[in-house]
Amino acid sequence: MSLQYLKEAVAVGDTEKLIRYVRLHLGDGNEAAGRKEIDKAWVEALKLLLDVPETDREFILKTLAERDAATLAHLFFHLHFYLVQRSGEWIHDGTL
Amino acid sequence: MTAHSDETKQLRPGLWETVNERYPGSMITKDDFVPLAPLRKPLSESRLTFVSSAGVQPKGTMPFDVGHPVGDYSFRRVPSTSNPSDLEIHQIKYPTHGAVNDLNVIFPIERWQELAAEGVIGGLTPNFFSFIGYNMDSERLERTLAEDIAEGSGAKFQLHTRYRKAAMHFSQYMAANFNL
Repeated sequence: MSLQYLKEAVAVGDTEKLIRYVRLHLGDGNEAAGRKEIDKAWVEALKLLLDVPETDREFILKTLAERDAATLAHLFFHLHFYLVQRSGEWIHDGTL
Repeated sequence: MTAHSDETKQLRPGLWETVNERYPGSMITKDDFVPLAPLRKPLSESRLTFVSSAGVQPKGTMPFDVGHPVGDYSFRRVPSTSNPSDLEIHQIKYPTHGAVNDLNVIFPIERWQELAAEGVIGGLTPNFFSFIGYNMDSERLERTLAEDIAEGSGAKFQLHTRYRKAAMHFSQYMAANFNL
């Protein structure tokens, strides 16, 4: 999928094309695998919080308030890979 | 050029169509021919540079951004005198196990060093060049990454626009085969 293809999808609000791309990206070209990867990241995030551990909420709020949206979106992708790696079930061929 | 080479084709015939069929809207649409550049002097008098999309980089440099949804358009200079132990791989789109055991299978730096020491090739440029093949924006790839590498590799190389196009096509080929 080209960047132009994705931008056109944004322009017409075709979110199916966009989420398909995300799934392909996160699933290394396999849409079904990508869907599972997204779920896996969320499950891992949830598991980490079930015992309500101390977290640095001040850091979170400061980061959200002070950083631009693109940086936070970029961080979102990094967090995805961080969480799936932490899950111990790594489907990717290489390493981060 | 070999006798059976065909200047009307490049890479694997039908590659672009295959990718576009599997991934509608794929960026693999350019079909302009990029001819191979013939050597102008013997290999033993030529310096060799190496451009790789394998994601190999010197330890301690900023890891390639393998998570970004649109790709990473930066490159790393890899000193041609490096030992494999000086280098690491940041790339999640191809199996790196073999390369971790022996980097030369994907980035044959010791083989180049040996060929230079034996005089088979005249020498190596001070740096090789490395990037990752995951690049969704082909125009940006051509405008920035390929041009930056061409400039970084020296003025002589910079004159050859063909190399920039070849670098772009190579990256597209890698993207089509390993990253989408």
